[in-house]
Amino acid sequence: MKRRYPHKTNILLVNITRLGDMLQATPTIAGMKAENPDAKVTVLVEKQFEEVCHSIPNIDEVVGIDLGMTVRSLAREQDGIVDAYEYVTEFVDTLRAKNFDYCLNMSSSGYTALLLKLIGIARNGGWTADEEGHRVIESDWARLFATSVFHQNRQYNSLNLVDVFRCSADVIQHPPKLMLNIEPAAREHAETLIREAAFTNTGPLVAIQAGASQEKRQWSPAHFIELIKTLTNEHQARVVLVGSKKELSIIEPIKAGCDSPNVAVFAGKTTIPQLAAVIEACDVLVTGDTGPMHVSVAAGTPVVAMFLASAYGYETGPYSEGNLVLQPVIGCGPCNPNKPCSQTDCHETIAPGLVAKLTMLRAAGDVRSIPPGLVDPRRVIVYRSCFDSHGFCDLQPLTSNEFDPLARFRAAYRKLWLDDLGGLEFAPAERRALALAADEVAGVEQLGELAGRGEALIDELKRLIKDVRVSGRALAGVNEQLSSLDRRIEEVGYNFSHLGPVARMFVFAKENLSGTDALDLASQMGTIYGDLRRRCRKLNEYFATV
Amino acid sequence: MASTPVSPRAYAGGRVGSEMIPKGATKMKDFTKIAEQMKADWNRRISHDYRFWMSDGHRDDAAMWQSGERDLDIMLADIGDTRGLTLLDVGCGVGRLLKPALARFARVIGFDVSDEAIGKARALLGDGPELYAGNGVDLRPLGDRSVDVVLSFAAITSMPTEVMAAYLCEFHRVLKPGGVARLQIYLGTESAVEQNDTLQLRCYSEAKFERAVRAAGFELEWSRDLVLPFKVSFEELGILARVVSLARSEVAPASVEEITALLRPGPGAAPSPRPPIAGVDLEYWMSLNYAGELAERGDIERARAALEYALTFQRVATIDVRDLLERITSRLGATPASGRSSSTDLYAANLAIVEQRFPMVASSLRATDDPNVMVVSSGDGAVIIEQGQCLDHPQKPLASGEVWAKRVLQEGRVKDAADLVIFGFGAGYHVEALSRATSKGVSVIEPNPAVLAAALRSRDLRECLTRLDRLAVGEEAARALFREGDELCLRPQTQALHGEMASRIRSIFYGTRGLRSLHPTVAVLGPLQGGSLPVMAYTLRSLQSLKQRVREWDVSGFAPSFHHIDKFFYDKMRVTGVQNMYLETVSQVLLEAVNEKSIDVLICMAQAPVSGRVLTELRSRGVITVLWFMEDYLRFTYWKDLAKYYDFVFTIQRGRCMELIRAAGAGEVVYLPMACDPGVHRPLSLSAEERKQWGSPISFVGAGYHNRQQVFASFADLPFKIWGTEWPECKPFDRMVQENGRRLLPAEYVKIFNATDININLHSSSERDGVDPTGDFVNPRTFELAAAGAFQLVDERSLLAECFEPGKEVVTFRNPRELKELVAYYLNRPHERQAIADRARARVLSEHTYDQRIRQMLSVIYSSKFEHLKRREESGGWSKLFRRAAPHPELTARCQAAFERGDEPILDGLVSDVVLGKGKLSETEQKLMFLYHVRKQMIRMKSEEMGLNK
Repeated sequence: MKRRYPHKTNILLVNITRLGDMLQATPTIAGMKAENPDAKVTVLVEKQFEEVCHSIPNIDEVVGIDLGMTVRSLAREQDGIVDAYEYVTEFVDTLRAKNFDYCLNMSSSGYTALLLKLIGIARNGGWTADEEGHRVIESDWARLFATSVFHQNRQYNSLNLVDVFRCSADVIQHPPKLMLNIEPAAREHAETLIREAAFTNTGPLVAIQAGASQEKRQWSPAHFIELIKTLTNEHQARVVLVGSKKELSIIEPIKAGCDSPNVAVFAGKTTIPQLAAVIEACDVLVTGDTGPMHVSVAAGTPVVAMFLASAYGYETGPYSEGNLVLQPVIGCGPCNPNKPCSQTDCHETIAPGLVAKLTMLRAAGDVRSIPPGLVDPRRVIVYRSCFDSHGFCDLQPLTSNEFDPLARFRAAYRKLWLDDLGGLEFAPAERRALALAADEVAGVEQLGELAGRGEALIDELKRLIKDVRVSGRALAGVNEQLSSLDRRIEEVGYNFSHLGPVARMFVFAKENLSGTDALDLASQMGTIYGDLRRRCRKLNEYFATV
Repeated sequence: MASTPVSPRAYAGGRVGSEMIPKGATKMKDFTKIAEQMKADWNRRISHDYRFWMSDGHRDDAAMWQSGERDLDIMLADIGDTRGLTLLDVGCGVGRLLKPALARFARVIGFDVSDEAIGKARALLGDGPELYAGNGVDLRPLGDRSVDVVLSFAAITSMPTEVMAAYLCEFHRVLKPGGVARLQIYLGTESAVEQNDTLQLRCYSEAKFERAVRAAGFELEWSRDLVLPFKVSFEELGILARVVSLARSEVAPASVEEITALLRPGPGAAPSPRPPIAGVDLEYWMSLNYAGELAERGDIERARAALEYALTFQRVATIDVRDLLERITSRLGATPASGRSSSTDLYAANLAIVEQRFPMVASSLRATDDPNVMVVSSGDGAVIIEQGQCLDHPQKPLASGEVWAKRVLQEGRVKDAADLVIFGFGAGYHVEALSRATSKGVSVIEPNPAVLAAALRSRDLRECLTRLDRLAVGEEAARALFREGDELCLRPQTQALHGEMASRIRSIFYGTRGLRSLHPTVAVLGPLQGGSLPVMAYTLRSLQSLKQRVREWDVSGFAPSFHHIDKFFYDKMRVTGVQNMYLETVSQVLLEAVNEKSIDVLICMAQAPVSGRVLTELRSRGVITVLWFMEDYLRFTYWKDLAKYYDFVFTIQRGRCMELIRAAGAGEVVYLPMACDPGVHRPLSLSAEERKQWGSPISFVGAGYHNRQQVFASFADLPFKIWGTEWPECKPFDRMVQENGRRLLPAEYVKIFNATDININLHSSSERDGVDPTGDFVNPRTFELAAAGAFQLVDERSLLAECFEPGKEVVTFRNPRELKELVAYYLNRPHERQAIADRARARVLSEHTYDQRIRQMLSVIYSSKFEHLKRREESGGWSKLFRRAAPHPELTARCQAAFERGDEPILDGLVSDVVLGKGKLSETEQKLMFLYHVRKQMIRMKSEEMGLNK
């Protein structure tokens, strides 16, 4: 793999606002530490996650930023603004004094980018901002991250963001799992909770995370009740409902609806390490795409995870081997996370009975195949999480994916990026020359041509720049042609949605042009057009092979 | 003697006390003797010198009438329209207040116990008032309930108590039901006065007085301090000159004896602060001083007469005035030349310093000659200046200056000031006192160069002049005098004499200071439509050019909906009702806008759609409400309902308009004529095609009002174009009216002005034919045409000559015939037209732009509401933010920029000008943008959690 900054000594990792994100960074942290054993790793998180970070291995220092207080000060406006301003000033000064030599910020938020600009760290693996406040993404992998989470492109991505994140930090050696230390005291607490639950069943211990970050991603309580009744009544399972105190409003009606001594509510009774210990003690966790799902992965407990609404299994699926991922087959999914949904049809594609059976299968052991007829492939695809030969997490369909129209594109893009950005070798058969016309990706030839025209224009521009006799008007003429060409490239990306990822990578690369020397800028542009042309060619190749 | 009363009727000081009844005094019911005494005493005094004994000691009748006008204003405060009423002045003397009352009342009656005074009044006023020499007991022959207003100024104060009680009962008798008595009296500490003393002032206990007037059948409506340009109250003695308003009730008066008993000091009354002085002593002393004063003026003949009069009391007087008498006789013996010689030396010495330190002032003094300015002697022999009235304390100017300086320096605003500017020099005693008492710089503005010159001639002011920081004479020089950190101290004497100038100086000072140091957010609310809509745009531009924090409230977008209501109903009443509801909604929109972004001043253009309810609410929040009523108050009468909701109403008419709007409850009413915006109304270079489209030898721009139709119907044979709406489509207008009578934009009509040889400007009238002979205000078109460099013929207006010189800058006509003659004359005289238009343009640019008008408007507002706005600003969000941001210079600078942009003191306001990708962000900008994005992200996450994303 091409690596930008293989050696690091004083690393800042910015992962501020979500528990899941923090856990998903653990393979990267472990990898950085493994590759740079003497390096110091500092993590910047929101104050409320500070404590849990102490349970994450390989972190040397945790710095908490009090965004809650900042927002409360800002809510006062007037002098409150100055309170917040002074807090930021002090905070920035503190971080500056730590003299970080490398920063990895995988949060695409505007404020983290500006914060890093203020701290002024020379080498960056993720998002930062330029002098004018514009977003800057230096690493190709981080651009791929941004490209992949760009809503239009999400379904063309099959690389787990944990790996994309890891590669942004140039990490090759990494554990194929998430990591969280569980202290004995936490385990004792979990054992006590389970003991006090006084289950009468003797079957598998199943943890259920019913809450989710958004209402549209939350399976209905009625479905959970049906699932739990099946598990407790038909399979002698013992069920613990986990979650936070805030989620009790969802969980308590479920508990009441089940009316069973084999259902216990642990929600609100655990810290995050204690939650991890509870889940660790369970045989399986049934969940949506949630923070506890990642906790479960870190605790080594398999999950049966439903990726509803905007959740997308390939993107943020459980990062360990052998978990079951249920992805609805529905025209509108995965939907835009920023839009509400008043009719969550995707929830109905997954029947409680199916989840109960998959839960019991997974509780019994690794699931390599699904009994025929159990799953309707027109409604839902069941995947098993795994790692490919290059150590990248993947999802292996256990049911037919014939109703997934984008499967081929996804596979092609996976190879394209692993090859083009990762420098990974693929078998000659997978790299054969242009396939039959019918197998070509529509529009890719046009995009490749545009990229070639761009390269030619850049050559012309370089010639003009070098020629001192050339008028500014001539240079402006070429620039105008380039602007119109770039616009066309972006349009092709919109016209052919399957070309969106390559076009978006082009756009992000262009946004990151830096410097003031005309010739240097032209060279950078030339490289970007070259990248686009090469990627178009490769995409076509890999599409044909899959 | 410590103090020297001059005249009880003049209030130039005086001994006051309530009455002391000597042993064996006259019986209550028998006060004819007292009345006779009064008559004899006052006849004697009038015969001697009516102006001295009946007025303020003025040297001529003109000054006496002037003071009468002033005092009548005070006495009639708040009475409103008096034109149909009957006035009775009791103790009218020679008619000082009767003369001005004649113009205000339908019937004016004067009553005085002195037949000498009545005779003189008759000689001075002719048959105007009805005059009666009374018996000093009652008001016969006046009939019951025959008078609307009774007043008595500086008269009953010297009447014996029982006479006053009798008069109170008589006031009740002659007043109509609902009538009012206005009396000038002394209230406060009771003290003793001889019962038969007809000169000394009497002071009553306020509580007793109130009980007495109630017993006399009156309700005490109010009691106010009497403030005159000279000292009339004696706070140090607890004796206050007051004006009281008594409303006649239907309760029958008690007996004179009962009322008298209520007024007299009781047994527990405080002892008199001073031993009583005999009336004869007082008269002796006053007339002696008067003689001295006349001698000082050089009026030897009258001085001798006064001395002679004084000496008639010498035999019976008990006071020792030998020093004074010697001084006066010595003065009367000295030659005037020796005085002048001495004053010449003084003047040269003083002027040398003025020339050295204030050369501009020195040059203005050379051309000074004002016969009204006199140097006279004060009661204590000091030199004082008079200009119709005393400009210094008439008795003790030196001590008075000290007291004034002490009081001034105790005022909070003065304490906070860096330097002080005094309005009024007079003889300079107060200036000396103030500059000695403070380390602050002291500067002076003297309105009249002759006063300063007189002071320089009569006093050694070298030290005072050397101490002065700045000195200016006249209004123009005063404008340039003020500096940051100054505080203005207006002297009451100069203020009384130069009231209008004082008011302008005040406006200039506080207005300039306000413009410099106040930063209120000024919202400008336009109408839904109409002529004031473009004025709103001009006003906004001017406010911006004056660097005000402006908020534009353009509500013209609501107009189509407002008119759309019309389409739903046949019944016009229903249309109006629903439209009013709609306007209330628009008003509410404004209130909500204030809820989101606060304002400090709201300037409403005429017909702005804001209801009384919303204006009341805004005022309750401290917003200053202003209406620029640029309408004819007779045609548009909504001011009757709305004036009371405005702190300021600016009008384009004077006189009755202002009076009525003031009476309708407006706070301050100020004349502010229309103007031009030189950015819009300007000479244009038009292409030949434009000239063809917009041009004509003769044009008129405006709506087709009745009088215009009537005049222009006869213009059919002329090369004449009409532009504007509401013109008939019939002959002869069908050929004259351009572009189907559509509404024009300002930019279009400026082209017409420029492309026309003769622009006719006929003010509209819905009632009159031709030219309205009563027309007063000047329409905007007059100013706009002038600014466009266009030649205009404009109908005569009474206020036009204040703005332009007719015949030189504009040409006026009085009727359609004259208009046609002028058109014929000027059509073939392009050079004359051009010269007139050029002069009009020069005038309008120098005096009549919206920038100047808005500056005047703000000066008035800031002058009057400076402290209010300052407090508001200091307690506002921006002040908090500035104080807190002070340790961070770059943040402070960013706050300043946001503040000046008119943004709110919120984070969004601080970063509203930061556009990413447009130049480098400073570190402060980066931090603020960081905070901006933090908040945005937190709100987004919260919304996501709550499923609120849309």
